Amino acid sequence: MITAVRKPMEEIRGMIAPFKKILIVGCGTCVAECASGGEKEVGLLASALRIDAKNRKREIEIKEMTIDRQCVYEFIDQLTGIIENYEAVLSLGCGAGVQALAEIFPVAKIFPALNTTFIGQTKEPGLWIENCRACGDCKLGDFAAICPVTRCSKSLFNGPCGGSKDGNCEVDPELPCAWNLIITRLEEKGELGRLEKIYEPVDWSKMGKGPRKIMREDQSI
Amino acid sequence: MTSSRLKKILEKGHFAVTSECGPPKGADPKAVQDKGKTLKGFVDSVNVTDNQTGVVRLSSMASCVLLKNEGLEPVLQMVTRDRNRIALQSDILGASALGLRNILCLTGDHQSFGNQPQAKGVFDLDSIQLIQTVRKMRDQGVILGGEKLTLPPDLFIGAAENPFADPLNYRAARLAKKVAAGAEFIQTQCIYNIGRFKEWMVEIRERGLHKKVFILGGITPLKSARMAEYMSKNVAGIDVPAEIIERMKSVPAGDQRKEGIKITIELIKELQGIEGVHGVHIMAIEWEDAVPEIVREAGLAQRPDVD
Amino acid sequence: MKKTNAGKKYAIFFCQQIDKNQDVNRRSIEKEFGPQIRFFPIPCSGRIEPLHLMRAIESGADKVYVVTCPEGACRYREGNIRARKRLLYTQNLIEEIGLERGMLELIRLKAGNNYTVDKLTRELLG
Ligand code: SF4
Ligand code: SF4
Repeated sequence: MITAVRKPMEEIRGMIAPFKKILIVGCGTCVAECASGGEKEVGLLASALRIDAKNRKREIEIKEMTIDRQCVYEFIDQLTGIIENYEAVLSLGCGAGVQALAEIFPVAKIFPALNTTFIGQTKEPGLWIENCRACGDCKLGDFAAICPVTRCSKSLFNGPCGGSKDGNCEVDPELPCAWNLIITRLEEKGELGRLEKIYEPVDWSKMGKGPRKIMREDQSI
Repeated sequence: MTSSRLKKILEKGHFAVTSECGPPKGADPKAVQDKGKTLKGFVDSVNVTDNQTGVVRLSSMASCVLLKNEGLEPVLQMVTRDRNRIALQSDILGASALGLRNILCLTGDHQSFGNQPQAKGVFDLDSIQLIQTVRKMRDQGVILGGEKLTLPPDLFIGAAENPFADPLNYRAARLAKKVAAGAEFIQTQCIYNIGRFKEWMVEIRERGLHKKVFILGGITPLKSARMAEYMSKNVAGIDVPAEIIERMKSVPAGDQRKEGIKITIELIKELQGIEGVHGVHIMAIEWEDAVPEIVREAGLAQRPDVD
Repeated sequence: MKKTNAGKKYAIFFCQQIDKNQDVNRRSIEKEFGPQIRFFPIPCSGRIEPLHLMRAIESGADKVYVVTCPEGACRYREGNIRARKRLLYTQNLIEEIGLERGMLELIRLKAGNNYTVDKLTRELLG
């Protein structure tokens, strides 16, 4: 999923300061799973903004709405006829959601309320970890399904950097060293020999020469 | 074209003595030249660090040329943290064109440790891929992708290795990989735990690697008991045994430098007795003055003339 | 009730497990204080959501209490611990909009005592 965290209230407040009628749009998919942009979070943000406006003796009208996906037209379309009534829109979608809204409603003033952070996994309740950078050429098959691009702080492909301590990364001692994980898992499978082969320089162009797109005839109409 | 003196020394079977020089945090050639003057005649070559720990300093390549002009033989350290493959290959050509003959291929410390933590880390290649790239350029006369060079670079290719790194079950395999990639000499992380280093060398010999690559044991003289404790606690991948810390503590602060030098000399003597160790790499961080004394007292001041 | 508390509004979220007769016991208080006080019985304090606390503030509460059973005594094991974490989260949020963290307060009851909601409330407000 795509993970995100809410921007500081100060920043959100600054973005919407000139406006009175505000629509807050949540997204029911990734950012709901990581508890940053779903229905609950829309409610919390709306409540906080209302309390804040009241305390500052400012008038504000907030509508809350959460759609299933903010990055797909069919769902965004549910805002048609509603969005026009608001002076500003605070999106709790990921960056893709915010941009999709803005593209479909080019006149609306749309602001991001989240900082989109990474593609990750819900490791345990309340803990999300980054584990894919969408490199466009998945190499997990060679590395016991632990991503060296993402989970090694130096994106090394030919073994650890030598700085890991107690199995953790030298860059962030709270995170496991990806290479420690890879070696341990390969050893468990009796496949440590895999690492003897030198991994050639990676084709980073698959990560995009610029923005990437996927086009599929069979899916188009 | 003159070729690497370090290479000749190692090939002739001499016990090599190399050292290190950290460039200044400014456009000051004199700082490099002075360090060169201190080391000249006592060591076979001098590594020049490449923005070590992510701290901006005078460039490694420029400092190497300054040292070369002083009559020393520099080893250009090159990290993949700051340059992509275009810049790396271009600098490899540049180094050779400027008459530099040794390169040490490194990944480099993460930028978050330095004074530009906001920088974007490049890590287009890793150290092993860099070794392979230099090898390709030199031996096959091509760059990555196969395009031909008009004149290949002439460089003696080195890599670093940490015998004390986690995970332990992989440490010898990692060296094997560097050798397979084409490393011709290895300078190790600083050794304090000679026992563990010897164990590592056993693994290295079992794999026959000591016959394929020249191994230079890294040593950093301790300046104080505090430094020993700091390195042990805070520097990733460094193993300072408790006895050494205790020994440093057992002498008064004023004599700790002397004790540090004594320990260094003992370690060098140990290294000389280990099969497959071909030299010592003395990294006296901001303490280059100590090197002549260490080399002299280790009985290595008579550097061989191979030219 | 002390003078300083006069006119202040309270919201009290409490774990039903702490008083089997909460239904009856809270009636006398509700009568006495009227709209000044609102009770929110919850089956387990672990069910508390930041949004509940925000809504209580929004509807005018000057002070919100979350009363939980003693740590280790939760019928649903860790509900009271979760309640504390949610409260902390909400405290951070209200602080970001310039309110006092103290507007939200966690009351963790001591083990081994028998509590009734009315006595407890008088203690809190007294
Ligand atoms: S190898 Fe690439 S696609 Fe696969 S997990 Fe890593 S970043 Fe993602
Ligand atoms: S410690 Fe491990 S994860 Fe961290 S940079 Fe080094 S090899 Fe990568």
